[in-house]
Parts: sequence; C-alpha cells; structure tokens
Amino acid sequence: MRQYAFFLGCIAPNRYPGIEAAAIKTSRNVGIELLPLNGASCCPAPGAFGSIDLKIWYAMAARNVVLAEQMGMDIALICNGCYKSIYEVNEKLKHNDDLRDGVNEVLAEIDMEFKGSIDVWHLAELYYDPEIVGVKKLAESVTHPLTGARIAVHYGCHLMKPKKERHFGDTEHPMWIEELVAALGAEPVQYRNKMLCCGAGGGVRGFDLTHALDITNEKLINLQEAGADALTEVCPFCQLQYDRGQIEIEEKFGVTYGLPVLHYNELLGLAQGMSPDELALDLHAVSVDPFLKKIL
Amino acid sequence: MAKTKYNDPKLEEKLRDRKYYITDSNPEFLKDVERIGRTIAHMCFQCGTCTGSCPSAPRSSYRIRLFMRKAVMGLEDEALTDPDLWLCTTCYSCTDRCPRDIAPTDVIMAMRNLAARRDIIPRNFLKTTQLIYQTGHGVPNNDVNRAARRKLGLTEEPPTTHMYPEYIKGIRKIMDHYGLKERADRILAEGE
Ligand code: SF4
Ligand code: SF4
Repeated sequence: MRQYAFFLGCIAPNRYPGIEAAAIKTSRNVGIELLPLNGASCCPAPGAFGSIDLKIWYAMAARNVVLAEQMGMDIALICNGCYKSIYEVNEKLKHNDDLRDGVNEVLAEIDMEFKGSIDVWHLAELYYDPEIVGVKKLAESVTHPLTGARIAVHYGCHLMKPKKERHFGDTEHPMWIEELVAALGAEPVQYRNKMLCCGAGGGVRGFDLTHALDITNEKLINLQEAGADALTEVCPFCQLQYDRGQIEIEEKFGVTYGLPVLHYNELLGLAQGMSPDELALDLHAVSVDPFLKKIL
Repeated sequence: MAKTKYNDPKLEEKLRDRKYYITDSNPEFLKDVERIGRTIAHMCFQCGTCTGSCPSAPRSSYRIRLFMRKAVMGLEDEALTDPDLWLCTTCYSCTDRCPRDIAPTDVIMAMRNLAARRDIIPRNFLKTTQLIYQTGHGVPNNDVNRAARRKLGLTEEPPTTHMYPEYIKGIRKIMDHYGLKERADRILAEGE
C-alpha cells in the first residue's frame, strides 16, 4: 500500500461526501491508502483568496502543505481547485526563495515552517501513472463494468492549466481521462469544445451566476448533441456547477437537460461494486437514476 | 503613456489625440502588475489570441486583450474600476495559448489584488473569506450532509478544522496578519 495524506477540500466532504467515501474505498482496491490530514482547511479557494491578495493565498495554502510535511507524506487530493492551491503553492514556494521567505515569516507566528519536503498529486494522475496504479491495474479492479454507458469527460481547468506550470502535456485535446473511463468498461464520448471551462471559477459563480451558468449551458448543449449518458469530472466544484447548475439553468433559462454528473471516483465506486447508497448518489441535484438503469 | 513634449509644434498638433496623450496614465501600474502577477505583460503585441480563447468574452463586454493594453498603457484607474475585471473564470486558456508566453490570467489576478487595495472586492469573495475565518471552510458542513456522512460510515465532521477546531486559531492568525477579517467586515458593513 502506498500511503498519502488525503486533502479533502470543502465541496467533496461537505456537499458530496460520496466522493470522499468512494475515493477512500476505491483507492484501497488499487493499492493506495488515503490517510486523514487532520486539521486541514479550505485550500483556500483560489478565486476568492488569490484575487484579494495572492500572498494570503500562498500562506493559507502553505499551512495545509505543512500539515502533510509534518506527517512526512505526499498529499493526494480529488479536486482541481484544491490542486490549483495546494500543488501550485507547493511548487511556487519550493522554487522561489522570495515567496517562501515571505510565507515562512507569517507561518512562524503559528510555529510552522514550509520546508518543501513533499509532493502534491491529484488522485486521478496517480490512477493513470503506470508506476503507481496504471490503467491496467485499474481495469483489473473492476467487478461491475459500466458496459454500454456513453460517458463524456470534463477535464476542468486547474488540474492541467497553465500547462507550463504542470506536467500533463497537451491541454487542447487530452485523452488520458477517457482512458480511465474506458478502463471501467464504459464508452468515452467526444463533444465540441471539450476543454471549455465549466463557468464557475475565479469567483464568477458567486459574482455573476447568470454569466457562469451561460458558460455551463454552452457545455450542456454540446454534451447533449454528443448523446452522452453521463458526464464525469475530477473536480467537485465543476460537479456542483454542472449538477446544481442544471437546476439553476432550468429556473433561469427554462431548459432541462437531466444529464447525470458523476465524479470519476463515484464512477469507479460503481464499477467496483459499490451501491448507489454507499455513494450517497441521492445527494445529487440531477437524478443519477437514468444512468444507473443503463449500467445496473 | 504620460504626456511627452516633442518640441515640434507640428508633431504636437498631430499627436494631440487622447490615444497618445493620456494624462491619467500611471507608468508604475505596469510594474506593479508584472511584479504581483509574475508575468511579462509588456511583451503583449495585441494579437487577440487571449480574447479569442476566452469563455467570458462572447457573453459580456469583458475583453482580456483590452486589460492587457491597459496594463501596458498604465491606465490604472480605468482597469481597476471596471467591473468586467471580475468576469475572468481563471480558466487559463489564454495563458496556454498566448504566443508571447504571457499569463494574461495572472495579469487579471494582479489587477484584482491592486483593486482590492482600494477596497474594490465583490461581496461574494469577502463572504467566502469570512466563512473560512469562522470555520476553516469556504463551504462548511450542514445537517443534511452530516446525516449523509453518518449513513456512509464517515465521521459526521470530516477530519479537517471541522473535527479539530483547535486548528482554526492558526488560520485566523494568518488572516489577521494581513488584516483581512477586519477589512472584509468593514467593506461588507459599508455596503449594507
Ligand atoms: S494572446 Fe498574449 S500577446 Fe496576444 S493579445 Fe493576448 S496577451 Fe497579448
Ligand atoms: S483565464 Fe480569464 S481571461 Fe483568460 S481565457 Fe479564461 S476567462 Fe478569459
């Protein structure tokens, strides 16, 4: 078992706890043990904090990183927004003395010090990495293949972009999450403008909901055109935007899509035989039932 | 650009256009933006690839290329008081595609930081920081979720600041170091 400090963020544990439960269980089946990162907080929200003062964002994110340094463990997480804060701040502080010194001055007030001794990973990249898990081992963990389901992927923005500060390569037409979907026995579906943002980031969801939803609506139009049975992503904030967003779009724009939206770990949970109840799928705003009927 | 004297009446006459003589320009603005955003905004040659990549452009008057120009021209007041500044979703599409290797997204972040120094911050941003000051979470737990967590066999409170509130003290100290709580309270109260 490889062990990681599991950074939860906010939306998974506090709105879609099924993602948290699924991540812990499904990872164990492929040789990853996720241990609680006690006392962690919001990453903090890169849109809200970064926009007000990047220095506060660095310091607050660094506090979370230091908790994992104290455990002596790399961080694994399940949200692109958290990745933006935790991964990016960890890398920036490792490689820029001026930033690290500034942050450590503040952290000294709470008896902490950023050392730069750990790495930060998104669970999805650990699944894809053949040296950690890999598509083959992932496929072997499947007991209930999602045969016949056509699933589209939303990559989100902050995992892979900006590409020069990441290590995922192509950000125009990536296909690696589709490979993770195919490993579950489902059929990945392509759609127009796949890499378009969900609309929620940068504080826009809170600042101008209609504007944010209009972006989401464009994505939903393209997804409907492709005939997807479900949309999967690796970011609970994107999930919230698509899932609750569909209800809001119905109210504001009068269009209904009924497209089930599932985090990749929820899909993996289903494929490893977890029941909808064990994943709290009833907490989703858009009913997942049409999708479940297809696969169960 | 600050007004330049050319000592040539004909040239002065030709350039008497506001486009060339902008008196409210602050040359320090570009430097501030580049320092905070850690990106080379002055390299922008106005190709428009950024606006062409931007999800917010087709549905608003927000134009990232325009903000790039305002950075270079030093049009600080115009840029920082424009509400469009807050329509960037920080998707980084422009950053990945900019042929000059600039990060327009980080130019926006730097401008937002500078706007924040003038107390121009949307309310929803401030409310998120207040929630984190109170609970450690921007999206805190609630009763429906606690019940669901119990059913899933998870702890009612996740093992974060929710389960260990003693860690909130450190978070408050960091935010207080920057006076963020006090500022958020004050700006929100002024807007009531
Ligand atoms: S893409 Fe780059 S060079 Fe082109 S206008 Fe935008 S910031 Fe300037
Ligand atoms: S990062 Fe902002 S400015 Fe750049 S393309 Fe995305 S929304 Fe537009």
